[in-house]
Amino acid sequence: MAERPDVEEPRATLEASPFADLYREHSRAIYYLALRYLGDPERAEDATQDVFLKAFRKMDQFRGESSWRTWLYRITINHCRNLLQSWHDRHVVSGVDDALWETTPSASDSPLRVLETRELGERIQEALDGLSPEYRLLLLLVADEELTYEEVGALTGQSPDAVRGKLHRARKAFTALFRKTGDEVP
Amino acid sequence: MKRQTKNQTASETRQTPALRQETQPAVLEFNSVEELLRHDAIHTPVPPAIEHRLARALPAPPPQPAGPWWRRWFRGKRS
Repeated sequence: MAERPDVEEPRATLEASPFADLYREHSRAIYYLALRYLGDPERAEDATQDVFLKAFRKMDQFRGESSWRTWLYRITINHCRNLLQSWHDRHVVSGVDDALWETTPSASDSPLRVLETRELGERIQEALDGLSPEYRLLLLLVADEELTYEEVGALTGQSPDAVRGKLHRARKAFTALFRKTGDEVP
Repeated sequence: MKRQTKNQTASETRQTPALRQETQPAVLEFNSVEELLRHDAIHTPVPPAIEHRLARALPAPPPQPAGPWWRRWFRGKRS
């Protein structure tokens, strides 16, 4: 068989570079946000790849005014919002009526006791899917300990106080939905 | 024969609770929704396919410079 020196072997992993370091440090957080925000593993995989491709092309525009994590989150949120918007045109996504959760007797302050099973991720996704995209995003961002309320506010276009207020309702709504997805351990 | 079967059954019965204990899933307690999500994030692996696809999509970095002339010279001397 003739050799083809002009055809490069596809690379299996990213070669050592600042971009490879960026990917290794933040890919878990970016993939997780995309996965739980979009609710679809295949689309989250595509979205994560697109986000890092965009980041690679825009790396020279990064001025260091925020952390790399916040910068990557911003790209991810914009990308996922566009995807959700285009799906919304095809499927009706139901929003959450706050009044419903205000009247639901849910002890969101009491600890959540669950069994460590493979279905835990599915239960979490089911509960998140029941929230509005705004509440879903807030919970996912606040769960990242690297972000402050100020940064979450900047990423979602609101004040830190507004984040705190909405977060309270988002937690309550999530807890009520999560408890509906399965039996809780007494 | 019967006794043997009986013994077997007894030893199986003795082993059963231990086995059941091993297969029982652990009970996890989370004090907040954020804690639950953090646990979920830690246990959600990133599909390796993403890195493979990125590696193929990105342009190869420029080749590393060969180093100073004296290092190349020494390398040549050794071989």
